[in-house]
Amino acid sequence: MLLGLILLLLVGGLLAALTERLHLNAPRWASLAVLAAAGLYLLAVPVGAQETLAWIPRFGINVTLAMDGLSLALVALTLFLGVVAVVSSWTEIERNPGFFQFNLLWTLAGVVGVFTALDLFLFFVFWEVMLVPMYFLIAIWGHEERAYAAMKFFLFTQISGLLLLFAILTLVYSHYAASGDLTFAYADLLGADLHPTISFWLMLGFFVAFVVKLPGVPFHTWLPDAHTQAPTAGSVILAGILLKTGAYGLLRFVVPLFPEAALDFRWPAMLLGAVSVIYGGYLAYSQSDFKRLVAYSSISHMGFVLLGAFAWNVVAVQGAIVQMVAHGFSTAALFMMAGALQQRLHTREMGRMGGLWQRAPRMGAVALFFVVASLGMPGLGNFVGEFMVLLGAFQVDAPLAIAAAVGIVVAAVYALSLMQRSFQGALQEAENGGTPTFADFGARELSVMILMMAALVWLGVHPNTLLDLCAPVVAGLGVAP
Amino acid sequence: MDWLWLVPALPLAGFLVLFVTEGRLPERPAAWVGAGSVGLSALAAAVAGSDFLQQGGVPQTQHLWTWIGAGGFDVAVRLYLDGLSLVMMGVITGVGFLIHVYATGYMAGEEGYSRFFAYMNLFVFAMLMLVLGDDLLTLFLGWEGVGLCSYLLIGFHHKDPENGYAARKAFVVTRVGDTFMAIGLFLLFREFGTLDIQAAMDGAQAAWPDGGALCTIIALLLLGGAAGKSAQAPLQTWLPDAMAGPTPVSALIHAATMVTAGVYLIARTHELFLLSPDAQFAVAAVGLLTLFIASFTALNQRDIKRILAYSTMSQIGYMFFALGVGAWSAAIFHLMTHAFFKALLFLAAGSVILALHHEQDIFKMGGLWRRLPVPFWCMAVGSAALAALPLTSGYYSKDLILLASFDYGAVGPWFWGLAALAAFMTSLYTARMIFIAFFGEMRTAPHERKGLNMRLPLAVLAALAVGGGWFGLVPVASVLPDGGVDAAHHEGALVWVTMLAPMLGLLAGYLIFGGKQLSVDGLVNSGLGQGLARFWGGGWGFDAFYDRLIVRPFMFVARVNKSDAVDRIYALIVEIARRLNAVVTQSQTGALRWYAASMALGLVLALLIVLLAPSL
Repeated sequence: MLLGLILLLLVGGLLAALTERLHLNAPRWASLAVLAAAGLYLLAVPVGAQETLAWIPRFGINVTLAMDGLSLALVALTLFLGVVAVVSSWTEIERNPGFFQFNLLWTLAGVVGVFTALDLFLFFVFWEVMLVPMYFLIAIWGHEERAYAAMKFFLFTQISGLLLLFAILTLVYSHYAASGDLTFAYADLLGADLHPTISFWLMLGFFVAFVVKLPGVPFHTWLPDAHTQAPTAGSVILAGILLKTGAYGLLRFVVPLFPEAALDFRWPAMLLGAVSVIYGGYLAYSQSDFKRLVAYSSISHMGFVLLGAFAWNVVAVQGAIVQMVAHGFSTAALFMMAGALQQRLHTREMGRMGGLWQRAPRMGAVALFFVVASLGMPGLGNFVGEFMVLLGAFQVDAPLAIAAAVGIVVAAVYALSLMQRSFQGALQEAENGGTPTFADFGARELSVMILMMAALVWLGVHPNTLLDLCAPVVAGLGVAP
Repeated sequence: MDWLWLVPALPLAGFLVLFVTEGRLPERPAAWVGAGSVGLSALAAAVAGSDFLQQGGVPQTQHLWTWIGAGGFDVAVRLYLDGLSLVMMGVITGVGFLIHVYATGYMAGEEGYSRFFAYMNLFVFAMLMLVLGDDLLTLFLGWEGVGLCSYLLIGFHHKDPENGYAARKAFVVTRVGDTFMAIGLFLLFREFGTLDIQAAMDGAQAAWPDGGALCTIIALLLLGGAAGKSAQAPLQTWLPDAMAGPTPVSALIHAATMVTAGVYLIARTHELFLLSPDAQFAVAAVGLLTLFIASFTALNQRDIKRILAYSTMSQIGYMFFALGVGAWSAAIFHLMTHAFFKALLFLAAGSVILALHHEQDIFKMGGLWRRLPVPFWCMAVGSAALAALPLTSGYYSKDLILLASFDYGAVGPWFWGLAALAAFMTSLYTARMIFIAFFGEMRTAPHERKGLNMRLPLAVLAALAVGGGWFGLVPVASVLPDGGVDAAHHEGALVWVTMLAPMLGLLAGYLIFGGKQLSVDGLVNSGLGQGLARFWGGGWGFDAFYDRLIVRPFMFVARVNKSDAVDRIYALIVEIARRLNAVVTQSQTGALRWYAASMALGLVLALLIVLLAPSL
């Protein structure tokens, strides 16, 4: 049944590609239809659903998929941001819309697989499935330096993927050597009896693979290039969802599989988290490219997730989950804004923006909303996430939590400077954008923005919807109270 | 009691209406929504307040919904009404309503009229959550919310980058304080497992009956937050620049309500400060320091709004000072009277500024008292209260603070002396403002905008600025530890000197700036005088200091590291790979002889390895 969801996206991708022959717009509508169908499908899946199909029995490999609260939240986010990606690229992508939608849906299928797979081999397969189409999205439909960015993205993710594969195989072999049971099943490997040294190195392998994806400093440098060069839909998916697979990996695999080793590694990991928060924020401020600024701000925001994941108490982990979802909305919206601006102005340079509020007050107000969300305003989702992470982390390591709290000030600096340089100040006649045709948001763009605003407000004032959904999962992962 | 939730909900509803209509509402309906929602909120507050008082002033709570619940971190959005929050709620909705009404006239014809009221309503909502929140996180929601609205309203005229800069500065500087406060909250939660104010305070009293380092640290962190929001040293630098906002904003946010949030926070958590005399002393010291810095700076300003801004800073300094010396109720009393007279001063100044086509330099005003009688008399009344002349509201509250400070331990007399000197300074700079702006020869011809919507609020506020202190401040007696405002009793010379200090300042002000019988030109034009004037006028060098210490290094590193030093490492790896590739490429020559030779060499090597392997 869960496999059906993934197959729906995979087959839907093929169909969307084929519809290009009918009409150039057809793949877009097809993509939306597939995502809507997947959304309806998801509604029918009960929380706690799990299924296992035999795949390669002689190696203990099965298709094991499960949908608990955490998976449900992230899969729902994935499908929603999938819609956002389709809508935001409606007029942007003119070349090969069929193949574009194909790649989009296949990436999403891979992500859904990653969020639901409870077999490590299957997990790895989905991990690759989501990355390759993403590479094509950047390499084919990206901006001026797409080849460099796509190659960088590919190398970082493939090398870390190799590390992940190697760690998985070693884990399975060690478990086999100790118990005589050859299995890739997550549930069986949870209790694997490992030598502490092996456990530590395996933990480190998983850790690095996921932190590259997150991304945490110092493995973050692929992200600004990939995000900046990707088409809008690519950035939305990349920042909104793909980064969360790294965070998800930390929560689902790294700490539960290697609890003692992770505990030993707590301080360095939390340090990397705090450093990411501040360094990412600082570099965000240093940028003059709208999209690059948002990209670096993602590093800062995901640093909170790293901090919370290794603080490993309920408050911090729940905070990290809220932060993942809230960041999905806020960053997706800001990337969509960047794309909308680039389409209108043909530039991402903030030096050539300024005063845009006067031309497009609606866009200005929307940008303001997400900027404010991004700097952690109470009442919106990001605040709940960040505050809970800091509160939880403080109980574990006060100095690091305090260091990360400085990131809140930095967030105010870069977020408000983004607003100032693009929408406020005197109107600049951008070279190509000084034309009177500069159009404010229409119904298409506004409607998805309103949905994302509503989601952030809901997460901000009633995060319990999400917290209650994830509470059993968090307890099940063995998080300290 | 059931009415209480309406108090914050109505301004929020007003904001939502104005937000959803995207600022396109014409002026008239926008004004009705903007001012009307706050008016209704004031009504609801009056009903809730009288209900509260009829029931004997027993604190009431109203549970709205559960906000966060995870792993022992449980936060409910609950409203809490006691004497302290009642006073704050009254000031916010009452003065807030008057300022909103005034603004409907002041902002007429301005671009973004509806957007202005949207922000203002959001502000009132956030400020009400701040004072009504039963939980430190709810308080923090309001705390950050008012900061946001302050940012939005300072930068309301967003076309001018200067305003944007002032707005960002205000937000970032106060956020530094907020971060201290957040760390204080983390500590409180770690110790007591809750952020509920009453529970945390009870916990603190039980855990640290004799104070201690942790208690002092938490209190000081909260003081850090309070200092940022209330523009106290060393985080005061944002307030003068915040005057870039429209004048009603300065009246509401940067005089009457938001900047007093720090005073409220300390009063609300007074148990902590009582447990830690060191922290309480720090509050007094911060207040006194700010009081002095601001008074001297106010004496050297030309811009009427900046004079008022520095006077706000110094009056809040008085409030901090009062909290520090244990005159809790007097601090809140002064908060209330200050809200009346400072709102009046700002709104009257706004009328003057509007009449002079946005001229704010007092040296370009002059002789206005005949041509602008209403603003003039309002300014005069407000100034009298600010200077604490007898019978005005400001007199009652400031007098209490000064007298109470005398009893503050061994340093009490010193504290009293300094505070009395500052009272002298206050009336001196106030007199300077009045005499230069309203007397002497007229330099700019005014064109007054006369609307009832602008004059009525002025009249009400003028009445409050005079009579607002006559009845004391009853409701806080049950909340604050000093048992109300009429606890202190003094006699003799102390009382007379305290009362006379402001009058002397006024007299000196008249002699120097009014009648000009006393010339200070010699002093002002001397090298020392000029240097001091520059130093004081520039806010005692704080801005320049922060600029050198923080802003410039921050910008420098941002510029240098724009392309991310970490990426160099990966670039280096790529470079090495390229070089190696170049080396290996050399071997691909296309010459058959080379290939044959290297194959032969490889074969020999392979054979050698096979032959030698067993012996290895």
